[in-house]
Amino acid sequence: MSLDARGVTHAYDDEDGGGGTGDARRSDGGTSVAGSGTDGSPVVRDVSLSVDPGEVVAVIGPSGVGKTTLLRLLGLFARPDEGAIAVDGTEAWAAGERDRLALRRDIGVVFQEASLFDATVARNVEYGLRVRRSWRERLRDELRGLVGDHEPPDAVRDALEVVGLADYVDHDAGSLSGGEAQRVAFARALAYDPNYLLLDEPTSDLDPRNTAVIEDAVADASDRGIGTVVATHDMNQARRVADRAAVLLGDGVVEAGPTERVFEDPRDDRTRQFIAGELVY
Amino acid sequence: MLPTGVLGVFADAAAVPFVAFPFEPRYVLSIVFVSLYVSVTAVVLSTLASVPLAIAVGFADFRGKRLVTSIINTGMGFPSVVVGLLVLVTLSNSGPLGHLELVFTKKAMIISQFVLATPPITGITLAAVTGVREDVRDAAFALGGTRTDVALTVVKQARYGIATAVLAGFGRAISEVGSVLIVGGNIAGAGGVSKTRTLTTAIRLEARQGRYELALVLGAVLVAVVLAVNAVVVRLGDSKTWTGGGLR
Repeated sequence: MSLDARGVTHAYDDEDGGGGTGDARRSDGGTSVAGSGTDGSPVVRDVSLSVDPGEVVAVIGPSGVGKTTLLRLLGLFARPDEGAIAVDGTEAWAAGERDRLALRRDIGVVFQEASLFDATVARNVEYGLRVRRSWRERLRDELRGLVGDHEPPDAVRDALEVVGLADYVDHDAGSLSGGEAQRVAFARALAYDPNYLLLDEPTSDLDPRNTAVIEDAVADASDRGIGTVVATHDMNQARRVADRAAVLLGDGVVEAGPTERVFEDPRDDRTRQFIAGELVY
Repeated sequence: MLPTGVLGVFADAAAVPFVAFPFEPRYVLSIVFVSLYVSVTAVVLSTLASVPLAIAVGFADFRGKRLVTSIINTGMGFPSVVVGLLVLVTLSNSGPLGHLELVFTKKAMIISQFVLATPPITGITLAAVTGVREDVRDAAFALGGTRTDVALTVVKQARYGIATAVLAGFGRAISEVGSVLIVGGNIAGAGGVSKTRTLTTAIRLEARQGRYELALVLGAVLVAVVLAVNAVVVRLGDSKTWTGGGLR
């Protein structure tokens, strides 16, 4: 049981702000994904990474190094140019579309921006649950919603409880602060009880209080057996939340291991320089 | 300078205890009915065709997409009289669909208004769908959405734009004169009941005959109808029960 990237190489960098439209190759969800960098060179190069249930792995590295692209590969947004992504032993891109959808639904993703839908907090958090229901059930829910007779399921309230927003069920998502919105985004990914969570710089725009709430929620998810990969350039956060750390630089993962060992006794010179803030990148 | 007849309406209204309508209510009601029947039917049919078409074009990557978009946008400015003429030629006895005998019927008017309403509905919907931020698709996809879920979410996010598209199509249809006059004939039957006479063609007729009071009343009714339909569509687009929606 694990989520694995096995020697993946990919030539697209979301962090460059490419957006993934144009001639991008699309995954089965039709979202923005692959393509090529400005010079066609790989952004993610021969990266292997694994996260086990209940484990928190931090992917650290400077901006633009491919952390987001790696997370999008792990989240099955894109098919890697080389290598494989395996979810609990099943190679996702060797599976059929239906099977890959099932694998994808074992993974929750939280982006740097909350990206909430224009609806109530409850409707946002329920989205992942709703798309897993039959069309008949969804139609019934929509009709109930029209007459104001739709109560959010317990999973929605539980997920909001984890991020301290249980009283915000009926709030309009548009009325939330940035920190609250990001907490709702976390609850939204947690509500359908995924086996793995992918967090892309989840607290980069948040104040210390909201950051602490998110980090506590990561620990809570870990206690529940959810394997988490968090991409961050915040060294302190990586040390606080992660069991293992992987340092991603231009030519792939240059160092990986238990977090404290990577920070206290790095074996790679560039890792040492990066942690010391001496690496010009 | 206002025609003396218009002033007469107000003078008469002040002089008598009840408003003296300068028209036969049954006549006006029949005109309103024909206008709404033709325009609403045409817009509903056009929406059913245009919105899926716009979504398909918006989501698909294919060769010539830019050309298709340009053709749709060009259609928005297509002269209505030319549309009416083309529909008339197509439906006339010597035309390819002459055997259907639709000329000077409401069906012919619906066809004409369908052709007129489709470009604005498709074009504005396409702009609304393609204008939705990538975050919407990513969020829907990341939460386990299928291709259909992602598309539905984008449509919900674009709902205000789509509502605007429908309104634009309806506005073009109900305010249209040239094509419905050509294919419908502006016919009122025995007893003064409209057969193919719409609010716009009736206004034109009454104004040309110097019956400005009735023309103004019909104009007011037309504006009221458009306002009412706008209010309903905007209300539908504003519903908080929608679950897709914009980002923050």
